[in-house]
Amino acid sequence: MNQQEIARKKRVMHVGIWLILICVCVILYSLHTGSIRLSPYEVLRTLVGLGSEDDSLVLFEYRLPRIVITILAGMGLGISGAILQGLYRNSLADPGVLGLHAGAAFGLVVFVSFFRSLEGMISLVLPLFTFAGAVLVAVLIVLLAYDRHKGVLPIRLILVGIALAAGFSAITLFLSLRLDEGTYAFAARWLAGNVWGREWANVLALLPWIVLLVPYTWLQSKVLDALMLGDEVATGIGAPVQRKRFLLMGTAVALASVSVSMAGGVGFIGLAAPHLARRLVGPLHQYMLPIAGMIGVVILVAADTIGRSIFQPNAIPAGVVVAAVGAPYFLYLLAKTK
Amino acid sequence: MKKLMITAMSILSLLTVAACGQSAPQQSAPAQNAPAASAPATTKTPKSGADQKIASMSIHLTNNLLALGITPVGSVIGGDVKAFLPHVADRLKDTKPLGVVTDPDMEAVLALKPDVIYLDEAYSGKDVAKFEKIAPTHVFNLDEGTWRDTLKKTGALVKREAEAETFIADYEEQTKRVKGLIHDKLGDGAKVMAIRVTAKELRVFGMKRPMGPILFEDLGLQPANGVEKIDKAYAVISQEVLPDFDADAIFVVVNAGDEAKKVYDQLQANPLWQGLTAVKKNQIYIIGAQPWLDYSAIGNKMAMDEAEAFFKK
Repeated sequence: MNQQEIARKKRVMHVGIWLILICVCVILYSLHTGSIRLSPYEVLRTLVGLGSEDDSLVLFEYRLPRIVITILAGMGLGISGAILQGLYRNSLADPGVLGLHAGAAFGLVVFVSFFRSLEGMISLVLPLFTFAGAVLVAVLIVLLAYDRHKGVLPIRLILVGIALAAGFSAITLFLSLRLDEGTYAFAARWLAGNVWGREWANVLALLPWIVLLVPYTWLQSKVLDALMLGDEVATGIGAPVQRKRFLLMGTAVALASVSVSMAGGVGFIGLAAPHLARRLVGPLHQYMLPIAGMIGVVILVAADTIGRSIFQPNAIPAGVVVAAVGAPYFLYLLAKTK
Repeated sequence: MKKLMITAMSILSLLTVAACGQSAPQQSAPAQNAPAASAPATTKTPKSGADQKIASMSIHLTNNLLALGITPVGSVIGGDVKAFLPHVADRLKDTKPLGVVTDPDMEAVLALKPDVIYLDEAYSGKDVAKFEKIAPTHVFNLDEGTWRDTLKKTGALVKREAEAETFIADYEEQTKRVKGLIHDKLGDGAKVMAIRVTAKELRVFGMKRPMGPILFEDLGLQPANGVEKIDKAYAVISQEVLPDFDADAIFVVVNAGDEAKKVYDQLQANPLWQGLTAVKKNQIYIIGAQPWLDYSAIGNKMAMDEAEAFFKK
């Protein structure tokens, strides 16, 4: 192990420990925020099972499920963005920009328009619909951005994604205008990135996807590193380029779509989290992926907490908070990218 | 050049996203600064009668309670106005807002430590178990019978049956008066309809609550051609078919907001509108969304007051 690598490992450890601390603080702060004020001490007491009956009800039934969902969704979105940016060697790649959110939203609106009878199982079925919608968009993007001689062109990918996002948003809007008021309100809030999953059933619907796909992605770090070098080099060092790209793309689509199915159409996390991670610990995916995931958690949990506490009594969707903070960052990136 | 394109497109999409975020309705429940969790502990055995602390998870049930002279300690707010409905707001000054019915603020409900919780089955039916963890819960189905039945049921729960009966009797008395007044004004066999102008669309109220029962049952008016077929709260129509209803009188609800008002102004300028029988007879009655669309004891009572004032002139 040479000097450089030891230095890098040290840096990753540092950043990782700091981020874990920040995560814990944000989560505790979020747990303490709500109509009933629980002091951080009461939160801790209740968490270890010493709180009063009402405190436990507030914490375990009302707040914790929502926070666990934002944790899982934030992680999913951060990692999904990291995969996409790696796969297409393009720092603008993000599930939102690529139109995957639009596809997921399309899936949601199709679900509420035509499959109302399944509403009883909405928490379990909805991720499947958003996934199907996002897969549809992903397939179209790859087909349209594919060049027979050069493979998938990263730049065309972004433009095709934006075009498809516009198209699918139009269909979504058309369908949602035909919904009755209650359903329309739900769909509109969802599109704005309102964390609607509030119950343990929603957590259970999200958990298996994240638990399976995040470690899988991490195991593929070396492949992502190889793909970053360009297809020729990647093939040259023995990576099965096309097959791996297909699998990883599927993983990214799945992570993004199930995350937004519970947390609503939150953009920018998939863009910002991997970016920040790369600046903190460099481009190697084995280090960068976990950091990106944690940054995603911090951003989404913080945004949701801010959205429901600062603007009382009218809570605003987490997606709007993220967009408000994410937009300047996005512009900054554009200005810096030469 | 390509880079520039991407930049431009990205900014564009960014603006779109940002704009979408802003324009989307923000319906989330308002969270209030609740009283400290150290409110005096009450035992969870339900007190009976009028002195119990009631949390009402339906604006209509809240208004039924008000009709019986009972103020709930907490109530959900109107989804459109994001506040207590204007016609009863002055009576709910000491009542804690509990968010919108579709997204109630459970923590605020818990903080109130109510003795009993009233729910509307249509909205909160699936969450009964969640509310029962806080306090004993009564579920009402507002589609079962009329508001009178709901009021009587409520009266029995809070031991104010007599007040409920009196309220209903007064209402029937007044209805008879108003019926006479309307008959004097509109004449025999007049057909009426009620429409609602929103920024997005034009609706005709059907035979179901909120408008059907008060117009066509209580006041005994005759529905305009085709209204009797709308077996739900309302149907969306296009302006061109308005003459087909051939109504002698039209009750118009114009939604709050400039856009709806503009739509109504345009409608009034339309020759099609000016050719309507009701317009020619000068029998267009602008009514407020509240109290008319509040299908509760107080809502219908106040609507009847309004109608009485209209037709007395």
